[in-house]
Amino acid sequence: MAADEDNKKVLKEPWSDEGFMKDEQRERLIDEIAKENIQLKEEIQRLEAELQEATINSQIKENIPETKVKFTSLENPENDSQFLNISCSFQVSSQVPYELQKGQALITFEKEEVAQNIIRMGKHYVKIKDVDVEVLAKPVPLNSGVRFQVHEEYSTVKINVTDIPDGLPEDQMRDKLELSFSKSINGGGEVRCVQYDKQSRSAVITFVETGVADKILKKKDYPLYINQNCYRVTVSPYTETHLKNFQVFSGISERTVLLTGMEDLQMMDEELLQDLVNIHFQRKANGGGEVEVVKCSLGQPYITYFEEERNGMV
Amino acid sequence: MSVMYGDATVGALREEQAGLKSRLQELQRRWRELRALPYDQVPFQAPAVPLVFRGHTQQGQEAPKWLVSKVRIGYPLSGGSALVTFDDPKGESSERGPGGEAGRLPGTDHAPPTPGRPPPVAQRVLQQKEHEIHIEECRLRVQVRALELPMVTTIQVSTQVSRHSVLVSGFPAGLRLGEEELLDKLEIFFGKTRNGGGDVESRELLRGGVVLGFTKDAVAQYLCRVGQFTVPLGKCKCPVRVSPYLSGEIQKAEIAFRPVPQSVLVLNIPDVLDGPELQDILEIHFQKPSRGGGEVEALRVVPPGQRGLAVFTATSG
Repeated sequence: MAADEDNKKVLKEPWSDEGFMKDEQRERLIDEIAKENIQLKEEIQRLEAELQEATINSQIKENIPETKVKFTSLENPENDSQFLNISCSFQVSSQVPYELQKGQALITFEKEEVAQNIIRMGKHYVKIKDVDVEVLAKPVPLNSGVRFQVHEEYSTVKINVTDIPDGLPEDQMRDKLELSFSKSINGGGEVRCVQYDKQSRSAVITFVETGVADKILKKKDYPLYINQNCYRVTVSPYTETHLKNFQVFSGISERTVLLTGMEDLQMMDEELLQDLVNIHFQRKANGGGEVEVVKCSLGQPYITYFEEERNGMV
Repeated sequence: MSVMYGDATVGALREEQAGLKSRLQELQRRWRELRALPYDQVPFQAPAVPLVFRGHTQQGQEAPKWLVSKVRIGYPLSGGSALVTFDDPKGESSERGPGGEAGRLPGTDHAPPTPGRPPPVAQRVLQQKEHEIHIEECRLRVQVRALELPMVTTIQVSTQVSRHSVLVSGFPAGLRLGEEELLDKLEIFFGKTRNGGGDVESRELLRGGVVLGFTKDAVAQYLCRVGQFTVPLGKCKCPVRVSPYLSGEIQKAEIAFRPVPQSVLVLNIPDVLDGPELQDILEIHFQKPSRGGGEVEALRVVPPGQRGLAVFTATSG
């Protein structure tokens, strides 16, 4: 009860004692900031987690379809780097599909102007079995895609070494690495240089001769001798991969036109219809011109693929 | 004492709070940027690339999401080696060898012949690791090895809005400027502070746009905010658009050795003959069916003391 009395007194007369009041205010302030900070921390944690997830989602992770290659020519290496690396470069681009629905057709003209003219005209009357069918011409709505070039170099003279034991000063370890990888009895050879990173316990060894790296890499590890002890360090190929010309693009179709309004022709043969559409649109009198390809869908929808125009730089 | 202690606590807490707030702001900013990230949902308009339908369709099954093109592999050949490519009229060797395993080394082994079918010439040649080539009185001893090339099998690329690079796009269609000229003109314009620009660190020509990298992030951010510029490009003053650039970075690339089934490497050719003569002798040898050989499509020799680069490209596409 006495304690209660005391509390009441404090609450009743909070401003009676300046020093005390300040203390209490301060207490409250500390409490408040501390609470706010906890909230902030929670918010930060939540965002960090979401960000991490979003980062993973924004990654493109793809298997590269296997490509068969064939010898084409023998060239002179322009520089040492070309001679000391197996290089591999290729371009990756996302497929841009368009689902061609029942009653729709795609028509590609040889000239862009013709295609644009057909779109401008909008409505066309195509004679099909003595009936004028109203067909609507529109630009093809295409998705965006991404493309990039990958340049990969696989060294014929360098190897990666990992899982190097701790315990030696940097200089000494570098020497031990050079000594061990020079031993021809273990498949080693003359070492040109050693780049050792103590912190990551890894190193890159460069050999003088090509072929040594190859021989060492036949096994996954290699003996490293340090003062009568033999450690197994992990060896792996040394590669460098670069990304170039990374580009997100939106596909536009300049020469291909979407035709709609042929849903009622389901009983017809697709090929016959394609011929009729082709004949109609290649006539100058109908606003058309030379046709490259026509594809109609009367039954199941087709997935159609758009390719890059071969010419044109910028 | 308690007063002093209290003040110190408030100070420390306030300091902590300021730190937390700026961290939160940073995260919120990144979050706003990141939300726009999946490349097919870019908030700003990506440069248009003209595409055309050439009759390629598919019904029912799913086609690969990605196209690989412009494949080029450079394989260095040291002096005293040769590359033999056998004719493969029936496409026998188009079947896959073992390959597949990441980090495997070339020449460790090769595909066993498929039962019931004669093995491709290259594989017959490889059944003996050492070949003896007879030239008049002497014998030339050489080693043969299967050819396998490192190829990327899986790639992981992360995308993010670049802090220091912008995308310049919207060039007029009839622009008659070479690549270098266009890049120079853009660097001259966007390198000037009076145009809102700054020092240009990198430049790259893409299809439908140019990526300019600036030394100062603030420059890139300012240019994106403005968005529209009129740049002298050759004879005309052209309106161009400046927008954020979504950049990509390789997170991981997996490599595996893939066999080139028609080709065989010949190594350790002794230095006894001149180039042209050596070429003929090797060609004759590897055409002999008695030696497991067959029709040679191409044979290239790198004479001892020289070096070469064998170039491989995709067989189709």
